[in-house]
Amino acid sequence: MLKRTLVANRGEIACRILRACREADIEGVAIYAANDSGTLFTELADMAIQLDGEGLAETYLNQEQILQIAIDNGCDSIHPGFGFLSERADFAQAVMDSGLIWVGPSPDAITKMGDKMTARITMKEAGVPVIPGEEVSGGFEEVLEIAPSVGYPLLLKATAGGGGKGMRAVHKQEDLESEAKAAMREALNAFGDDRIYVERLLGGSRHIEIQVLADKYGRTIHLGERECSIQRRHQKVFEESPSVALDVELREAMGEAACDAARAVDYEGAGTVEFLVTPKGEFFFLEMNTRIQVEHPVTEMVTGVDLVREQLRIAGGEPMSCGPLNMRGHAIEVRLYAEDPSNNFLPAIGELKKFIAPTGPGVRLDTGVREGDSVTPDYDPMLAKLIVWAPSREEALQRMGRALDDFVVLGCTTNVRFLRELCTNPDVVDGWTTTDMIDRLWPDGWSPNIGAQIGNAGLLIAAACESTNHGRILTSSGVESAIPSPFITINRRFP
Amino acid sequence: MMEFKTSEGRIEIDAVRNGSSFTYEGMTIHTGNELWLEIDGRKHKAVATKVGDIWWVHVNGHTMQFELIEPGASSADDEGGLTAPMPGKILEVHVALGQKVSAGDVLMVMEAMKMEHKIVAGSEGIVESIHFAEGDQVPQGAELLTLGE
Repeated sequence: MLKRTLVANRGEIACRILRACREADIEGVAIYAANDSGTLFTELADMAIQLDGEGLAETYLNQEQILQIAIDNGCDSIHPGFGFLSERADFAQAVMDSGLIWVGPSPDAITKMGDKMTARITMKEAGVPVIPGEEVSGGFEEVLEIAPSVGYPLLLKATAGGGGKGMRAVHKQEDLESEAKAAMREALNAFGDDRIYVERLLGGSRHIEIQVLADKYGRTIHLGERECSIQRRHQKVFEESPSVALDVELREAMGEAACDAARAVDYEGAGTVEFLVTPKGEFFFLEMNTRIQVEHPVTEMVTGVDLVREQLRIAGGEPMSCGPLNMRGHAIEVRLYAEDPSNNFLPAIGELKKFIAPTGPGVRLDTGVREGDSVTPDYDPMLAKLIVWAPSREEALQRMGRALDDFVVLGCTTNVRFLRELCTNPDVVDGWTTTDMIDRLWPDGWSPNIGAQIGNAGLLIAAACESTNHGRILTSSGVESAIPSPFITINRRFP
Repeated sequence: MMEFKTSEGRIEIDAVRNGSSFTYEGMTIHTGNELWLEIDGRKHKAVATKVGDIWWVHVNGHTMQFELIEPGASSADDEGGLTAPMPGKILEVHVALGQKVSAGDVLMVMEAMKMEHKIVAGSEGIVESIHFAEGDQVPQGAELLTLGE
């Protein structure tokens, strides 16, 4: 049993883990950079310790400082969440060397899966199918040499990478040099390692991943799939389970391959094995993410398993608690980003003057922000994950559409409307989701389809609000102020 | 009469006021602590808030922005400038002063949010001034370079 866990993360996932700690009767310790002071996750912790320094390297990526805080505050374990230090084998090792428990797989498993080349070899040996491709470590001249043998279109990606950084699709040879240089530079900036991997881009394929769970008692299970094909700039925006592309046989075959992959590295805890599934139903190992994943709630909704709670349980030396699985209904997650979908999905910043989240049956919101927070360029622009569950895929899409209609975010541009239109897009409704679908459906970029009537309604509302000073009152001194909270007036009335 | 700027250009509106309700194009908005829009007898909840000069409006699942134009304000727009879409760092400058460029040419490459963005010429022109060098940090909206005829 864990007693006090330091959560080495921030925002939405820190909230998720800290709430799970609270439910498991584990004390949660948050760490935060100065510019995260007062944000939601710091309040959900039993203790919140401010990190010294500025910028990611000195704060959330500062292994020594984080480990020292854990030791100084009597923590017995560290949960890394996702991103940041979650896939750093050296950090996992340092945590264990200090006598603390690492909530995640062994440093050896992280290393083997973290390096795409080693992962490929390990998977090949374990009998898991892999995509044709090669690694490049000798500069872009070597990329030029290797490219013809891999074939176009091809994909360049950082060997050490993830999250779309250092990843470039190249469709013709003329673009290879500039794209390879850009990919290597992004890889060097983001991961301190400019090695890139060249592989064949399998067009029209689906990105389907299998959630696995393994404990210290030799049990390794899979919890079905998540379909994450709808992506923009190689980052997922819409995820669902189950996938319309899998039947019982394919699900079992991929589930078994995922368990084989996990067993091949003596995996412990929660992990995800990503596969590319071709229209013909062949599947290829892409990579294994050795951590909890952004889209984990989708699996939680259809299996009823609390994955973060299982992580804590397994790390504490207990067997996993879930018995035979019974998947039911359909779950969808969308990622709400502060970005402008009508301008190539460029990240946006601003103050969340209004942030009104939808509620109702089967609706779950995982977020680390609230009304009044500022969205800055300091961190990832993901604001929230909205997850719905319904008995069928059709009803889940309808529920997601309704929930997104209800979602009000004012003061910062978001992709809410883009996500809303996905829910009724014929290709999405029919289940024709592929990794290249956004480029295919909107080759010249997406723009919202606002009818003339709604446009006029918006204009009318703006004019009426301006005329009535909506949301503002003038004080006797003529200075504008917000409407006072009723609690302030109550306090005045009953001093 | 009121004038707003949207992504589509300037629009004027002349709504009929009746107490705290306003009517335009057959629609009525009832103001108060809450906003209710009435179209053909059906009502829709609306939310609006003002940030600077911009009214942000949410209604029927759509979010729109309307920038109020103060009466008498000039209509000069900042044409010809190429601005930073995001705060970030200049990685490469591809052009020199006085160079002739065509629409679609990459002028600069900047890094923002750990992703690279190309600053591309929207039209043909001559580079009149370059305001930042490689390695410079730039705030959002900063004019990066100016193209002339």
